Amino acid sequence: MKAVILAAGKGSKLTPFSMTRPIPMVRVAGKYLFDNALDMLNKAGINDIFVVVGHRKEKLIQRIGEHLNDGLSVHYYEQKKAGGIGDAILQVRDKVLPSEYFLLIYGDTVTSANIFSKIQQSFHLFKSAVASICLPPSNAMFGNVFLNPQMKITRIIEKPKGDELGNYVLSGVYILPGSFFQLLDKHKKSMENALMELVEKEGLRASMWEDEWLDIVYPWQILTANRMIMNSWEQSSIAKTAVLEANVTIQGTVRIEEDVLIKAGAVLEGPCSIGKGCYIGNNSLIRSYTSLGNRCSVGYGVELKNCVVLDNTRIGRLSFIGDSVLGEDVDIGAGTMTVNRALDWKPISVKNGRRKYETGMVKLGAFVGDDVVIGAGNTIQPGAVVPPGRVFPACYTIKSE
Amino acid sequence: MCGISGVVGLKDISNALFETIRNLEYRGYDSCGVALLNKNSIVVKKNVGGVEEFYRKENVLRHKSSIGIAHTRWATHGRVTRENTHPHQSCDGKFAVVHNGIISNYRALKESLVRLGHRFESETDTEVIPHLLEENHRKLNNVEAAFVKTLCELEGTFAIAFVSTYHPGQIFCAKRESPLMLGIGDEIKFVGSDFNSFIDYTKNAVIIDDGEYAIVSRDSYMVKNYLTREEVAKPITKIEWDAETSKKGGFPHYMLKEIHEQPQTVTNALDVEDAVLDKVVEGIAQSGQGHLVGVGTTYYVAQFGQYMISSLAGQSLFAVSSDEFAALSNVGRDSFVLALSQSGETYDTLTAVKHAKSRGARTAAVVNVMGSSLSRLADNVVLQGSGPEICVISTKAALAQMVILVRIGLKLALRKNAMTAAAFDRSMSVLRDLPGIIQAVLNERSGFIHRIAHEYFKIKHWLYLGRGVYYPIALESALKMKEVAYVHAEGMPGGFLKHGTLAMIDKDIYSIVFIPPREEKALYEATLHSVEEIRARSGFVLGIHFDERGKNKNLFSEELILPNVSPLIAPLLQLVISQLFAYFTATSLKRDIDKPRSLAKSVTVG
Repeated sequence: MKAVILAAGKGSKLTPFSMTRPIPMVRVAGKYLFDNALDMLNKAGINDIFVVVGHRKEKLIQRIGEHLNDGLSVHYYEQKKAGGIGDAILQVRDKVLPSEYFLLIYGDTVTSANIFSKIQQSFHLFKSAVASICLPPSNAMFGNVFLNPQMKITRIIEKPKGDELGNYVLSGVYILPGSFFQLLDKHKKSMENALMELVEKEGLRASMWEDEWLDIVYPWQILTANRMIMNSWEQSSIAKTAVLEANVTIQGTVRIEEDVLIKAGAVLEGPCSIGKGCYIGNNSLIRSYTSLGNRCSVGYGVELKNCVVLDNTRIGRLSFIGDSVLGEDVDIGAGTMTVNRALDWKPISVKNGRRKYETGMVKLGAFVGDDVVIGAGNTIQPGAVVPPGRVFPACYTIKSE
Repeated sequence: MCGISGVVGLKDISNALFETIRNLEYRGYDSCGVALLNKNSIVVKKNVGGVEEFYRKENVLRHKSSIGIAHTRWATHGRVTRENTHPHQSCDGKFAVVHNGIISNYRALKESLVRLGHRFESETDTEVIPHLLEENHRKLNNVEAAFVKTLCELEGTFAIAFVSTYHPGQIFCAKRESPLMLGIGDEIKFVGSDFNSFIDYTKNAVIIDDGEYAIVSRDSYMVKNYLTREEVAKPITKIEWDAETSKKGGFPHYMLKEIHEQPQTVTNALDVEDAVLDKVVEGIAQSGQGHLVGVGTTYYVAQFGQYMISSLAGQSLFAVSSDEFAALSNVGRDSFVLALSQSGETYDTLTAVKHAKSRGARTAAVVNVMGSSLSRLADNVVLQGSGPEICVISTKAALAQMVILVRIGLKLALRKNAMTAAAFDRSMSVLRDLPGIIQAVLNERSGFIHRIAHEYFKIKHWLYLGRGVYYPIALESALKMKEVAYVHAEGMPGGFLKHGTLAMIDKDIYSIVFIPPREEKALYEATLHSVEEIRARSGFVLGIHFDERGKNKNLFSEELILPNVSPLIAPLLQLVISQLFAYFTATSLKRDIDKPRSLAKSVTVG
């Protein structure tokens, strides 16, 4: 079966990280979301993969090229201008024949186990169009799917009014017939309306997903996704070429990749992930749910806690980064503190762009975009969002802009 | 777009071949064909139509073989005719080929083959392949070499599989751009366009990459690159698959499936013939003393029946746990014993019924399994017709039994003139609405229940409180929690609180309170009073009620609101909610849902 991954979206609520990459190129638990999806597809026996790229496509295209070298069959198609989900799907219509079913995947969802296997099993059972559904972890409702006992979807309410309905929602993974393209044409590229017609005419079955599931929309959800995947780890792995000096303490599950150097006295509390070629300075404390990308440098005596750090980022000595996400090539000066809670222990709100979001999280640090330079001795306020490329002098308090 | 499959095994594989190709039908189905190798000849069957239709029409399954290939076609080159259907054969009939893809240079190849004297039967691009194989085999005298040469001559895309009388135990296949994989079983191997074709037989797949060909026999396979001719070491991909999924109808667990089947099982319980129930009603009415016996869940069902029959018909029956029956109950000639059991094999209940019969009592049973020991033992049997209940934890069977007991209560009331015929009809029509309401609740409340369960799954102690008929509901709900989530849960009448239990209320013990609809005024107010008692001690209360949102502001810590219904079915609806609550708590705790520890489906030991 062919798989179509939608990766063209702008993800504007995921700023500052989506300003420089498409969402599938966010790395959580040491792995790009995109790679995670390919891995699961492979284990689900699917190796014919089409990716619709658009927003900031370069990074993703480069990654696809690297996969081709590994022998995977991945092709990409460009959505020239933003035109919604329906339009993105239509980019691959030549690749799918009218008689054929294909797997459709939204590139911004994360699961703790193999959702593609699961939906294939449902498809194998029903031999007709299938939509994966799940119960979201919070009150924030994404839609409402009505079922009959034969798992047939009888109704979809995308945005229920009020809070009187609470049920299964569409989880962004479908197996659809090739004729779906015609439905999209007919409904002016509206995914919602095309699905409605599918429900009414041909029928759409549900595949119930019970493991964890997350749609990454906001930057703090990167931390949730990171935690979700790390919680599913069962084993540690330390590459042969990693060097651990004397008195390095490791607890819990850790993933340490090639050419990592961990200096004496460092403590790693799993689950945590250290990417290729990282340097961890003496007496550092890497606490649970920390994910370091490739070639990061962590100075002497740094404390990291529940944070996602992307590639090539440097964190100067005696800093504390907690409950935060740092982009690529970020340079953090010595003695920088991310403040990760309010004095009154109230949940942190995040001002991103013009809007203010309630995260409901009591502990939350900062979201620092790519190529930011932060001078030594700085304090970053809770929930601060720093756009890519900003430069801050030393000894300065950084707030959300 | 087509699907191809092939099977090679020890014995007859014709049935397996049928299933592999039927599982690929989703790739297109305007015509279908198979080639089976039989001793030294190839039997080819093909026709237009879908897979099942073709198999029936051509009676394909009567041909037995240990090796074969099959094809389901969606026409791209050539019309939909029998001639254009795969497999295609060479002139000498020694090669039969199935193909998915498009051979772009087929016209040139065909012309030169025709010049060499080959006769073509179809309009397809595929037919050049068997003729090329025959031609190359004539020159090279080796099937593998002829195959490699053929592959190099083909332009375009393909997944090819063929069988040949030269090697009657082998399937040859190759891939360029069209999908192809092997399924690796013991003593049986598969070739398929994707793993859907063979997943019912093996989860071990070898994915063939572009530019590779494979030779597959029942006990081995070899993959080579057709340009370099070197063997390629291929890893076996273990397809992540749960063989039970199809039996679970797509639900993650039988328990959830059975909870979702309740609209149907309630309907079935309502469809149980009146005459069958009338015998039981007559038995109760004529007896000096009636007993309801069950054990575990069915004991709570019996208690529910006790409350219902008492309030509807004004007759008191004893609900007794089967294992205590002999010790507690004085049964004699004028006694009537109604036993409840899903399986009809429950040791304790069978013992109780035997004991009653030995004392000359009349007996009846409500059971789900036809022909079970209890159904043969009891004088009258009510078959509840809930369908097989596979999850060890009873959900749909228990709810259906409760519905049957409500019907018995109503009939008894009518017989004793405790209820008018009009009131009886009204009550029956309320019951008839129950399946639809359960369906709506499942569809509109699952998310809320899941959210609450997900938030509080770490709580170690739960109190389940109810008054009146809601008390057995609390007991049964607490049992679900204990059984499936292994969490301490205690069912209790609301009135017990002030007799000592309130002392336990603290931040570690959470309560669930079953609130009746407001029209049951006395019960409603008494139950709310229990809630206030807990809240006054800062205890957590999850209220399951029928009031509108915000009606009892700040009374509950969490609330689950149900559509306002008649008191006759209100407790049943609350049971559905607590089944789901126990289920989602158990999934959050990652319990083995369908086979919880220390519990067997039917307890047949004493």
